[in-house]
Amino acid sequence: MMRDERIRRWPVAISALVALTLAILPLPKALDPFRPDFLVLVVFYWSIESPRAGGLTLAFFAGLALDVVHGVVLGQHALALTLMAAWATNFRLRIRVFSPVSQSLTIFAFLAGYQFILFWIDGATGNAVTSLGRWVAPVIGALLWPLTVGTLSRLHER
Amino acid sequence: MVAFRSSESSGRSTGLLLRCILFSLLAIALMIVDKRYDHLGKIRRALSIVAYPAQVAVASPFEGWAWLRESLTTREALRADKAKLEDELRVAQFRLQRYEALEAESRRLRALRDSTVGVGSRFIIGDIMNVDLDAFRERVLVDKGARDGVYVGQAVLDSGGVFGQVARVDQLTSEVILISDAAHAIPVQDNRNGLRTVAVGTGDLSRLKLPYISTAADIIKGDLLVTSGLGGGFPAGYPVGTVVEVKRDPAQSLADVVVSPAAALDRSRELMFVWLTPAAPAAATVSAATLPTAAPAAAATAKPVTPAAKPGAANGKPAVTAGKPSTAAAASSAPSVDNAGEAKP
Repeated sequence: MMRDERIRRWPVAISALVALTLAILPLPKALDPFRPDFLVLVVFYWSIESPRAGGLTLAFFAGLALDVVHGVVLGQHALALTLMAAWATNFRLRIRVFSPVSQSLTIFAFLAGYQFILFWIDGATGNAVTSLGRWVAPVIGALLWPLTVGTLSRLHER
Repeated sequence: MVAFRSSESSGRSTGLLLRCILFSLLAIALMIVDKRYDHLGKIRRALSIVAYPAQVAVASPFEGWAWLRESLTTREALRADKAKLEDELRVAQFRLQRYEALEAESRRLRALRDSTVGVGSRFIIGDIMNVDLDAFRERVLVDKGARDGVYVGQAVLDSGGVFGQVARVDQLTSEVILISDAAHAIPVQDNRNGLRTVAVGTGDLSRLKLPYISTAADIIKGDLLVTSGLGGGFPAGYPVGTVVEVKRDPAQSLADVVVSPAAALDRSRELMFVWLTPAAPAAATVSAATLPTAAPAAAATAKPVTPAAKPGAANGKPAVTAGKPSTAAAASSAPSVDNAGEAKP
């Protein structure tokens, strides 16, 4: 992991912490279902742009943090995020050269897959959330992807 | 589902696959252990202490704003407030006198019957932290936790009536599930005629429903529902809500009853954690021992978020039924606070 001396980890840590804060920031009840999964976007960004800075370790622990703040069964978000981050890492070279629109579409697929795993585990643990609202977050997240890339790449390249 | 094709050197791709499998197995193991056993309670509580600063950081600007607004109120507003509060206090004291007489009478009657129903006399006040937990579940985070003796399944009230019950306890905070959560059910009683039933949350803060009322049952609009105290999770006699709508379809065997909760579920900031009996142990552990009579099944497995189900608890304990409450489920549902919502038949 430490082969490259130039890899800096603090942008990863800072962006993850900010995203975690955004995840628990109170929003008006009406807006709450539209909250994108900020931390997931951040993890995807680092998986695609600099997998060695955070990698699956980041994905796993970010997922664990989400489990704790959301108060769900430990490991749920961790599993979903690990799998999707691995997928994103695997396709990173292709994703990097995509046009912004195709990138957003790909991210939408990842986010939808992430939500699907959460949905599935919710059901398996007998805690199903059947409202359609949860499928809104991937759409918003995909729309926010260019913004995420813009913000994080500035932090990354500084 | 995940296709691993070597997109760079095959060596790194194998490493990725390996680490992915490793972390996934770890996550699955965590889930199983968390769901089945209590060993992760301590880890979760430790982790939540790490999360606590973030939660405080998020909540503090709102509290700061409230404080600022409070300190900038004018003298007139304060005087008006004071007058209003004095009026309310007078009314409350007047009511309290009556209540004390009634309580004495009730104690006498109970003594006659040799019954010992605890009256919620010990309580602590907790503040709701301004933190969002989950958009699709009605839960709030409160700044009282295991350190203050809060236990899973404990009844939580606000000034209007029953607010919910404790679903999860961390060291410094606890998560309260509102009575309006779609996975929550509470045993209630019609104050007018004593009709017993179960009020189930709908996922909507402004309404509960009574799914197990037959069309022939004597329930009308305006009836006050109070906790029945059956099951032992909630103290008896606290208001839960008023019936706002009764729909009777002759073709159906069950009526459609909508209840508006008495507690200000969307406005309250201070909540009251009630101990059922004055003698309840104040130990700061969330283990089996601190659940007075509330959740024997939960106690048996000694897990804060136990998916315990005890057959034959026919009087509708304050249970959190899994998912959609099936007809039979709520009547015999488990006396458990089921955070993860699993119900074993």
